[in-house]
Amino acid sequence: MNEEVTMAIETPLRQVSPAPSDPVRSTEIDRAVVLRLRNVDAFYGTRQVVRDISLDITGNSITAIIGPSGSGKSTLLRCIDRMHEVIPHARATGLIEYLGTNLYDARVDPAAVRRSIGMVFQQPNPFPTMSIADNVAAPARFNGLIKGKNASADLVEQCLRRAALWDEVKDKLHQSGASLSGGQQQRLCIARALALAPKVLLMDEPCSALDPVATLQIEQLMTDLRASYTIVIVTHNMQQAARVSDRTAFLTMGDDGAGYLVEEGPTGRIFTQPHERLTEDYISGRFG
Amino acid sequence: MAAEYGALLTPTSSARRFKANLVVVLAVVATAIALVPLASVFLFLITRAVGVLGIDFLLQDPPGDLSAAGGGIRNAIAGTLEMTTLATLIAAPLGILIAIFDTEVGGRLATGTRFFIDVMVALPSIVIGIFVYSLIVVAQGHFSGFAGSVALAAIMLPVIVVSTEEMLRLIPRPISEGARALGLSRWRTYASVFLPTAVSGIFTGLLLAVSRAIGETAPLLFTALGNNFFSTDMNEPMQGLPLLIYRNALNSAFPAARDRAMGAALVLVLIVLAFNLLGRWLVSRRKPGRSTGR
Amino acid sequence: MAVRISNKAGQGGPAAGPFARRHLLNGDIVFRLVVAASAALTIGLIGLMVFDSVQAAWPAFQTFGLGFVTGIRWSPSFTIYGALPFIYGTMLTSVIALLLAVPIAVLIALLVTEFLPPQIGRPVAIVVDLLAAVPSVVWGLWGLLVLVPFIRPIEHGIADGPGRLIPFLGPPTPGPSYFVAGVVVAVMIIPIVAALTREVFATTPRLQREAVLALGGTRWDVIRRVVLPIGRTGLLAAVLLGLGRAIGETIAVTMVIGNAPKIGGSIFSPGFTLASVIANEFNEATEPLHAESLVGLGVVLLVIAIVINGAGVAVRRRFERSAGRGR
Repeated sequence: MNEEVTMAIETPLRQVSPAPSDPVRSTEIDRAVVLRLRNVDAFYGTRQVVRDISLDITGNSITAIIGPSGSGKSTLLRCIDRMHEVIPHARATGLIEYLGTNLYDARVDPAAVRRSIGMVFQQPNPFPTMSIADNVAAPARFNGLIKGKNASADLVEQCLRRAALWDEVKDKLHQSGASLSGGQQQRLCIARALALAPKVLLMDEPCSALDPVATLQIEQLMTDLRASYTIVIVTHNMQQAARVSDRTAFLTMGDDGAGYLVEEGPTGRIFTQPHERLTEDYISGRFG
Repeated sequence: MAAEYGALLTPTSSARRFKANLVVVLAVVATAIALVPLASVFLFLITRAVGVLGIDFLLQDPPGDLSAAGGGIRNAIAGTLEMTTLATLIAAPLGILIAIFDTEVGGRLATGTRFFIDVMVALPSIVIGIFVYSLIVVAQGHFSGFAGSVALAAIMLPVIVVSTEEMLRLIPRPISEGARALGLSRWRTYASVFLPTAVSGIFTGLLLAVSRAIGETAPLLFTALGNNFFSTDMNEPMQGLPLLIYRNALNSAFPAARDRAMGAALVLVLIVLAFNLLGRWLVSRRKPGRSTGR
Repeated sequence: MAVRISNKAGQGGPAAGPFARRHLLNGDIVFRLVVAASAALTIGLIGLMVFDSVQAAWPAFQTFGLGFVTGIRWSPSFTIYGALPFIYGTMLTSVIALLLAVPIAVLIALLVTEFLPPQIGRPVAIVVDLLAAVPSVVWGLWGLLVLVPFIRPIEHGIADGPGRLIPFLGPPTPGPSYFVAGVVVAVMIIPIVAALTREVFATTPRLQREAVLALGGTRWDVIRRVVLPIGRTGLLAAVLLGLGRAIGETIAVTMVIGNAPKIGGSIFSPGFTLASVIANEFNEATEPLHAESLVGLGVVLLVIAIVINGAGVAVRRRFERSAGRGR
């Protein structure tokens, strides 16, 4: 049973909304909601760390997931691109629907999911043995998305521009990826993720390891990217969430040690008129 | 208050100080004792063997009769080079693949393999010689350089597996996660990310394995057997430097054989040292703070 | 810029969508197979070699039964083969080697990790490690031409002195002997035991060390109360691995042990070890039972080596795990 896939790599800057591409699946897709989480549980062995989370992620926006340590924010994020299960004895159950498909269906190839949903980590992790250009182009080349030197060079420039890094590195594309500053490395990682043309970008505390200047640059970048991508960011920095995101989800740890969703909504409302007491307590710094 | 000050001001009793110092002295003496044989061996080789060395010694083959003077050790140097090269070609890819197996597939199988390999590291090399004899020499019906190479490969394999595994395990988690999050297939991840990152360590492990194989005699005794002539035929018995030393040493009643053994021993030690020190130097470049050189 | 890769709509069903597993035999599965096959092939080959050897030695085991291992006589001319003299030789030389090497190695490790500053300690450690770089055959040559003449008067001295009362320390003393072999093997295993012991001592938790010092302890107190007790398991592993190396040492031993296939009465008697007799006689063993018995000796040696090295590896694993926990 072979199914090959159409992947249209379009230039998102020219786009305003996610493009419908595949005539095979004509089921109704709610354009506004890109990711649908329903009853997601996550475990490390027998220990449950995420309990029954249901959430809608809307397209072309930035959704922030906030909460105290241990509330399962990162774990939940990693469930979306099936990175959680990589850890030995870790597993996740539930429904995560993306592009009309349940990502947790048994027939789904996790690697394919990860090619379609990009992730940026807390610690910038460019491949140290590859040049800056290779860092961006190689994963795309390996995954068969582009072929040939010209296509590679174009892709490198395009993605580095989109990650606001092009001007700083265009003269040293052949230097090692590890030779850049922390903020530059993180932008390189963003460029690398963008090279696979994902529609969703997951960011796990992307600024925690960066200085304030670099942080602001990344935040500005996120705002620019919002027009073409759906971004989900986990952050323990409430101010950052308030600055950058359109919607915010607040998670906290329950008495059983598992994280659960307390409240979710437009960022403005969450921070000024939260519905839940817990949310208000967290926002005003009474715990966490 | 006064009592506490008193305790602070009481010097360590002389008995305890004496014991502490005694141990230091003993440790220094022990180290000196251990280094005496090292110095002795080098002195021995340098003083008594240097007279034997010369261009002829390196470029000529030994005489048919061990007790006769003259000739050189060319065939032995060549044989060692040839067999070690073939052994490396066999052991390196296998060793790296096994290390990948242990790291990637994991589980009970990998634990068992790792244990097996760890025990193999320390197996008596003469036992390896017997094994290869039983499998290859008996099957082929004759001794050969090929059998010798296989025996050397068996010696090198566990060293390569252990050092490669160590290197793969040292790959930082963020790199591994980054590759996975990009949806790269496993083989691609190893080929383009992990192995290039670990390559210098793998190379060092190879160097150390080679330096060990070059000095081994026992595995060659019943496999390559030895040869008085220069040979490039892997299907024929082949001479090796340690073999030549051994056979001449057994006949050391004859001065010619004795001299030949010593000259060859000096050459062998120099070659092994060169590989060894090169390997160490590469390790120190990678990890500048390591205080326990291995 | 749009790059379109062809779309073949299959019957995969909408559930899997664009994320369906592409091929049954995708690159990853092939990769795992190749890698697993290499491991299996290698282990299989080695297993085959062991099997072949045991098979080759079988006639000897059959002929002598358990007497092969307990037999005292090894006499090719009478086709009687018993392994005990060699087991004895192996044990004796190994014990001598351990008795000499372990205290020295432990002291060296203490010197390098406890008493010397790292800048001096590191070069010292490297120099000691060079002992391991010298090939076995060179140690044998040195042993034969330098050590034996040097030790002979010492052997005579002990044999004529305390040796008169203790036969074990008495004559004969022709030079090559269990004792000399033990000394040479000791020299060869010092670097191994020292290196491992160094690592063991280096992993002593700083917290415990400083606790003793803070209470006014001397460096010896630190060693006695913290380093040695915590490193006990690791030390055992180092000793076991040194022993494993000692029993397998072949060439250097062959050259200095005197090659007498019987149980010598004194440590200054000539003798044989399992490894050295194989090296010495294998190529001249024309009579089938002789050759088979030699292979049988190899099997015996293999069993002993697996037991000791296996124990050494297991103990080292246990130490590494507990050291990890202790942090």
